[in-house]
Amino acid sequence: MNKIKLINTLPNVFQSRTDIASDIWLQDVEFEKGRLYLVEANSGTGKSSLCSFIYGYRNDYQGRILFDDEDIRKYSISQWTDLRKKHFALLWQELRLFPELTAMENVQIKNKLTGFQKKKQILEWFEMLGIADKVDAKIGRMSFGQQQRVALIRTLCQPFDFAFVDEPISHLDDSNSEIMGNILTTEAKRQGAGVIATSIGKHIELQYDRVFKL
Amino acid sequence: MALVWKLLRQHISVPQFAGFFFANLVGMVIILLGIQFYNDTQAIYNGEDSFMKADYLIVNKKIGAMSAITGKDNSFSKSDIEDLKDQKFVEKIGTFTPSAFNVRASFNISGVQNLSTDMFFESVPDEFVDVARDHWSWKKGETNIPIILPKNYLDLYNFGYAQSRNMPKLSEGILGAMKLNITVMGRGKQDSYDGVIAGFSSRLNTILVPDSFMKWANDEYADGESKMSTRVIMQVNNPTDERITSYLQDHNMETDQDKLDASKTTFVLRVIVGIVMGVGLVISILSFYILMLSVYLLVQKNSSKLENLLLIGYSPSKVSLPYQALTVGLNVVVLILAFIILFIVRNIYLVMFENFFPDMSVPSMLPSLVVGVILLVVVSILNIIAVRNKVMSIWKRKD
Repeated sequence: MNKIKLINTLPNVFQSRTDIASDIWLQDVEFEKGRLYLVEANSGTGKSSLCSFIYGYRNDYQGRILFDDEDIRKYSISQWTDLRKKHFALLWQELRLFPELTAMENVQIKNKLTGFQKKKQILEWFEMLGIADKVDAKIGRMSFGQQQRVALIRTLCQPFDFAFVDEPISHLDDSNSEIMGNILTTEAKRQGAGVIATSIGKHIELQYDRVFKL
Repeated sequence: MALVWKLLRQHISVPQFAGFFFANLVGMVIILLGIQFYNDTQAIYNGEDSFMKADYLIVNKKIGAMSAITGKDNSFSKSDIEDLKDQKFVEKIGTFTPSAFNVRASFNISGVQNLSTDMFFESVPDEFVDVARDHWSWKKGETNIPIILPKNYLDLYNFGYAQSRNMPKLSEGILGAMKLNITVMGRGKQDSYDGVIAGFSSRLNTILVPDSFMKWANDEYADGESKMSTRVIMQVNNPTDERITSYLQDHNMETDQDKLDASKTTFVLRVIVGIVMGVGLVISILSFYILMLSVYLLVQKNSSKLENLLLIGYSPSKVSLPYQALTVGLNVVVLILAFIILFIVRNIYLVMFENFFPDMSVPSMLPSLVVGVILLVVVSILNIIAVRNKVMSIWKRKD
């Protein structure tokens, strides 16, 4: 997948609103592979909706979303599964980790599916992000900031053309944000992938090609 | 998959699944036992007479003193048969076709020709003969003719003839392997055939050959017209029906009362077994509902986990698999246990049966095994579809 296009897209819940002034909603927007984007948003502007639409989790929007010129409304189950496994990595704002499993198990449940990363690499990321001692701790026992770091590692355990990270550093200090930014961009560069980050105030510091206001 | 299972086995309710397990086991055992018990008791009624079902009645016209003197015909006319066919209690009917040529048969025992006798043949439509098709057929040009003999003949030989002449006694098995020399004569022709004994019947007082042979031979050897049959064979839907007895009386016909009684007993037994199996089926259906409910509940309780798995790239079929495997696995274990219980229970009652009926041939367990496997397959397919649908409703976010 080389580009994501949004044509005149708008969440259904905003239909009655007339004051939409957004760089994304009701515009023609294109995200290209290999570039870095930031989507800045205020609360209630539909940031999570955007994630959900692009990821095929929800389709309560008007307008069109195209992946390489193919309308994603026509995507089949196997196309979505394939996309989520091989082309599109998403870090959810609410993380969607499994509290019953340990940090490593949470990462492995994805990595076993894709077989993409070596265990050594995963452990190295745990080390870099300062949570090496939490590898075998249950997610339910970890702080949200620690969970965010585990979720990032899980997000990277797959090949991707685009990584969409939804408020990845909301609970991280600056130094950890920077490490996370480095890991993310290194991995994206290695794969020639694009990165779309969102933020609501504090954002992850990267060399963005373009910044959108939602 | 181990991690997925670790996740999805959360909230599995052991009491619910145990409830399903035992309810399904009870239902399955009742159904299978019903089938097996019915088959086994049928074997008692039919005895060695496996090629003539117990619910077939053989009917003939009474021969009174007057008819013997006046030579009044006791054969069935076309209108007699049409009238019988129209009776509500008759399911299907066939006539005995008698041979209109001469038959002579002899045995060779120890190389010496023994027990040579004049005889006759009769045939009934093949559908009434319960012998595998390839053992009960004859085509023009074949010299082997399959034959079913009355059991009385064997008794007559073993306990009368062989006894008085110090001849070896013959079992059915030995006789089955021997051939009967048959000479057919008529219209100036005389041909030899080999009679192959397909079995002995205690219900038929005649010598039965395949219908195809009879038709051909009557054309080939008979002088003049073919004879009308003096007996009919019919299948009735309910042997306890009073109308049968009264009809036969009114029309001066008779059937072997013993056989009618056997048919009645079989019928009542069938009804009872049917009811018991119905109860088993109801229990099984209810247990299936328990299983479905607990699986639905389980999916519901784990719906956020299932959704997250779908969102990190697991396909609906991969996510469904653990629950599908769980239900199918339970079904398989239930079936295996049901078979084991069936086997044990059957061995207990077979011992009793064999005390009463030492001659009974023990039927195979195949029919109940087949029914059990069919039930397993049907229920498993329903389970698989139900789980899949439930997971798909999560995919589509319908709840």
